Amino acid sequence: MKDQVEGDIMNPSRPLGDDYRSRVRTNTRQLAGWTGVWVGTCALMAFGPKFLWNRALVFTLLAIALNICVGIGMVVANKKYLVEQDELQRTIMLNAMGITLGVALIIGIPYSVMSSYDMIPFKADVAHLLMLMGLTYAASNLYGQRRYR
Amino acid sequence: MKNRLKVLRAERNWTQAELAQALDVSRQTINALETGKFDPSLPLAFRAARLFGLSIEEIFQDEESNGATTASSKETYV
Repeated sequence: MKDQVEGDIMNPSRPLGDDYRSRVRTNTRQLAGWTGVWVGTCALMAFGPKFLWNRALVFTLLAIALNICVGIGMVVANKKYLVEQDELQRTIMLNAMGITLGVALIIGIPYSVMSSYDMIPFKADVAHLLMLMGLTYAASNLYGQRRYR
Repeated sequence: MKNRLKVLRAERNWTQAELAQALDVSRQTINALETGKFDPSLPLAFRAARLFGLSIEEIFQDEESNGATTASSKETYV
């Protein structure tokens, strides 16, 4: 069995030892790295103009450009992460993303309307929607993991 | 869809983790397949067939067509 699992039965082009778990571990680390740097550039973009360069336009534009470039890197890393998951994980994540998109749509639009007509005691902020999406995705993913456990 | 993965694995004394590694999927996927919670894609079914040296039909059976066959057989005999 060891020869079979370490050999070339499934994918002759794949190097020995490049198994599913190590690939996922590497991709997770890369995605976490890109996400961390992206969060850092978000903070730089949000607080830099006020606290670091006294609202100098050039630096602000550079910070925005950096944030977008790192964001693109994060999206590419996320795509690689998804593609190299196995099909069960992809199914779980697809379901979670579908639920997240639906929830964002059906809550986001009424939330915006309620804000427009002053039906909520605070100003609607896109950050609220992002938090809702994050929580929905996490809950849906957790549900999927438990369902197929 | 029903499958014989658990039996075939047991016959070879393989663990779920070993089968998962051989099929290049997670152990969770093997468990979900064995318990019938998840149906494999065609490429994964082919990989399993190649690994066990069997045809896909010898590992995976469509419950609906089996049920239909059984039902029609019963009708014929009744």
